[in-house]
Amino acid sequence: MRPKNFIVAIVLAIALATGIFAAVRLKTPAEPAAAFVLPAPTPLPEFSLIDQFGKAVTVDSFEDHWSLVFFGFTHCPDICPATLQILSAAKSELEAAGQAPLPRIVLVSVDPERDDPELIGNYVDYFGKGNLGVTGNLDELKKLTAGLGIYFEKQAGDADNYGVDHSAAVLLINPDGQFHALFSAPHRTANYVHDIPLIVAGH
Amino acid sequence: MRYCFFCAALLLAACGMESQPPLVANDVVVSAPMPGMKMSAAYMSLTNNSGQTLRISRVTSPQYESAELHETTMEDGIARMRALPDLKISAGATVTLQRGAKHLMLTRPAGNSDTVTLQFFDGDDLILTVDATPESRID
Repeated sequence: MRPKNFIVAIVLAIALATGIFAAVRLKTPAEPAAAFVLPAPTPLPEFSLIDQFGKAVTVDSFEDHWSLVFFGFTHCPDICPATLQILSAAKSELEAAGQAPLPRIVLVSVDPERDDPELIGNYVDYFGKGNLGVTGNLDELKKLTAGLGIYFEKQAGDADNYGVDHSAAVLLINPDGQFHALFSAPHRTANYVHDIPLIVAGH
Repeated sequence: MRYCFFCAALLLAACGMESQPPLVANDVVVSAPMPGMKMSAAYMSLTNNSGQTLRISRVTSPQYESAELHETTMEDGIARMRALPDLKISAGATVTLQRGAKHLMLTRPAGNSDTVTLQFFDGDDLILTVDATPESRID
């Protein structure tokens, strides 16, 4: 083989190898990086709460939407607003990237004693349009949280100055009203932006 | 003459001490209360330049009825918030008050104010005064 042909052969071999490598890489499907996707999505338990407009919230309310559900309370100045900010920023980024359908942000109050519909409504509205605030009867709330493995417990304090310990996870509910995936704390905007389109597309 | 020189040196030393406050706050963020809410939070880093351990035993603000040191902890996926009795900062150390960790919880604002003043006490000694403009949580 003449030296010139030899060089051409090497160049072709490298090009072929690069092409095969790229094809293999591209064929590997991207997977959610942060979310834990349930192997089999589980239906939400039966419960009856109300939203910020006083309208009933039941399992049916979760149909036809992807929902990012966070359990928190309005008298929580640190972690709750920080989480809602992250979810809101993620939703804006997903919207800007053309993601459809977009998930709805839902805050379920673990402090229904203080969180009346007006209070929780003002709170969720602050973090963007279309957010849902859920509150209501404590026993009904417990049906929902127990069914999803969400913990909350009111702490000692004055009548208007007490905290509520609560699970910090964000649950992704699919449009069939099923618990589909879980994002554990610490929450990062980039995790939601990366994972949600993949989970939605894979449903 | 030598005595006067000594006085001047003392005076200079005193001035030097005054220009170096015992506790310094950086990256101060005070959030504005959300609509309808009577509480907010403040974050910053605090550096102890005093040469000895400082103990923040009390924080007050003219714009809030109460300012408390709190800590959010995250364990086994559960967020908890607890009041801290005090905050000790060793000589030369920096403690950061940040989201999801130690922070100041401000409750019951006295009204809408353009500036929030925070006063940090070690016992009866006022060791730091911070002025900040409350920030909205959404840009």
